[in-house]
Amino acid sequence: MKLREYEAKNVIREAKIPVPTGFLIRSAEELKPHLDALGDAFVLKAQVDVGGRGKAGGILMAGRADGVAIAQELFKKEIKGLPVKEILAEQRLAIQHEYYLSITVDRSSKQPLILFTEAGGVDIEITAKEHPEAIRKVIPNPLMRDIPPFMLRELLGTAPKEIGPVVSKLYRVFLEKDALLAEINPLVTTPEGVFAADAKIIVDDNALGRQGFTVNRDLSEREREAEKFGFSFVELDGAIGVIGNGAGLTMATLDLIEYYGGKAANFLDVGGGAESERVMHAVRLVASVPTVKVIVVNLLGGITKCDEVAKGIIAAGISQKVIVRLAGTNEAEGRRLLTEKNYEMLDTMDLVVKKAVQVTA
Amino acid sequence: MIYGDKNTGILVQGATGKQGEFHIGLMNTYARQVGGKGVVAGVTPGKAGQQVHGVPVYNTVKDAMSEHGIGAAVIFVPAGAAADAIMEEAHAGIDTIVCITEHIPVQDTMKALAYAKMEGARVIGPNCPGLLSPGEVKMGIMPAGLFSHGNVGVISRSGTLTYEVVDELTRAGIGQSSVIGIGGDPVIGQTFVDVLELFENDSQTKAVVLIGEVGGNLEEEGAKATDLPIVSYIAGVSAPPDKRMGHAGAIVEGGEGDARSKIARLKKHGVPVASRVSEIPEMVRELFRCHC
Repeated sequence: MKLREYEAKNVIREAKIPVPTGFLIRSAEELKPHLDALGDAFVLKAQVDVGGRGKAGGILMAGRADGVAIAQELFKKEIKGLPVKEILAEQRLAIQHEYYLSITVDRSSKQPLILFTEAGGVDIEITAKEHPEAIRKVIPNPLMRDIPPFMLRELLGTAPKEIGPVVSKLYRVFLEKDALLAEINPLVTTPEGVFAADAKIIVDDNALGRQGFTVNRDLSEREREAEKFGFSFVELDGAIGVIGNGAGLTMATLDLIEYYGGKAANFLDVGGGAESERVMHAVRLVASVPTVKVIVVNLLGGITKCDEVAKGIIAAGISQKVIVRLAGTNEAEGRRLLTEKNYEMLDTMDLVVKKAVQVTA
Repeated sequence: MIYGDKNTGILVQGATGKQGEFHIGLMNTYARQVGGKGVVAGVTPGKAGQQVHGVPVYNTVKDAMSEHGIGAAVIFVPAGAAADAIMEEAHAGIDTIVCITEHIPVQDTMKALAYAKMEGARVIGPNCPGLLSPGEVKMGIMPAGLFSHGNVGVISRSGTLTYEVVDELTRAGIGQSSVIGIGGDPVIGQTFVDVLELFENDSQTKAVVLIGEVGGNLEEEGAKATDLPIVSYIAGVSAPPDKRMGHAGAIVEGGEGDARSKIARLKKHGVPVASRVSEIPEMVRELFRCHC
């Protein structure tokens, strides 16, 4: 789950990395007591859970005289369809140089990966493509709580020494906050020292509980509903609802829909060993997606019992057509139950998907 | 076959839990069918002296090791305890560790894998179905009924999708040497590179089916590192960016790890990539026509 900018900045501030003076406000009125601290020039940043907010008008420059009025305007706006409920008002820095610093999980080495470049601020992906040599990296051993000094020297090269402690502190944040990504871009030098001008932290979804989060804000309402049942669910925008068991098989079912020229409405993995009640909830959940015209159920029973699946489909009693492919444990009984109720059953995933695409064409 | 055979004694960590108990039963049913050792010991802290399907349970891995010859371990403990289980087994000297557990925080996995590496242990998973070598050994949760003995190796990041492929292969008369589920997490122990290296040195394995998915680039790294004939399938061609597709590791991030560019890179290395699972058996046959 991605933290909002002000949350990430709070984490960074607690780790004793300098951040610009800033205040979170929930109304334009709340800005007034902070005007003295913010000084003559500051930035108003809408705290919305969406990328590209700057280009969408969510970041505005302001001053002592017009600050409250500009904040008022920003609170009235929608950024990519989202209302602005919180604004981070932040002091503008006298920037001398911009750097890029990030810590991620490296799949290849199975260790943390720290990236640093003196060409910060600009689009890092472009730098990575055009000047890969400008990006330095080190891969610390995750069993150590601190980065050894030699690695810091390798990473920083001739960059100002005062950046070293920032890297060490950000590494602690990365470890202690269960981050998949901890990034400061840009990390800036000013006459007053080094500052994290922007910060991004993504917390591991599998660690939200121990990090004190009760909900995953990255999920839509329906996706959250699915999470309660233990389903993996992703909302898409096609007409064919999909229920599978196992992430890979469900993805492959979605791909097959695309292969035959259809569009999937969702991804839903019911997980292993699903009982009839879970299957019923899964079918109802997918049926509740407004675009769904037909539902494909593709289950390969290992631990999952086909008769339980059949009972769940029947109990859901939905209005849309359900096309079923069941294979594995108790297959015959599952088939008997569904055939009795006139459900369409086909033998392979190719056949069920082809049929669903025909129905929606 | 790789990672173990009939003579591998298996330890199950989390033996008295619902999953552990259920799968000890299935693993030992399979072991009896093929005349293998199967699960010889279980571990659950505080449950020493109990038995699960006739298998004795110990408090610690060390205790179990002092009574039995153990070559591999399978972990069924909850996510919060799984990293510790990996380290306990590695420390006790078990060199092949299969971690079935899902939802382990990545930081825990990274530490446990670094520790296991230090102890010289190899870890399959986490978040994986384990492995099955037809006629030899089953370590994990794969449904044995779909498998048949032969000379095609299968490596996959998925569970049920692997069963689907194995089912297709078996129906087409193509048997398997070993089928390895390496796991759906972003950080996993044995990757495609490691498993392919073992398959290369395995005289039984003549070709490999590599089943990947969106996220990372380990499929391509694997394909680059081997001379074995490979057929591949990549799930997630239709996956939208920045969405986790069920597996923690199945995500297209920062424009990287999408299925189309993976497929393009695999093809560049000369690896044929199936557009549908049902095409795989014919493509494997084609490999044998070319290479045999």
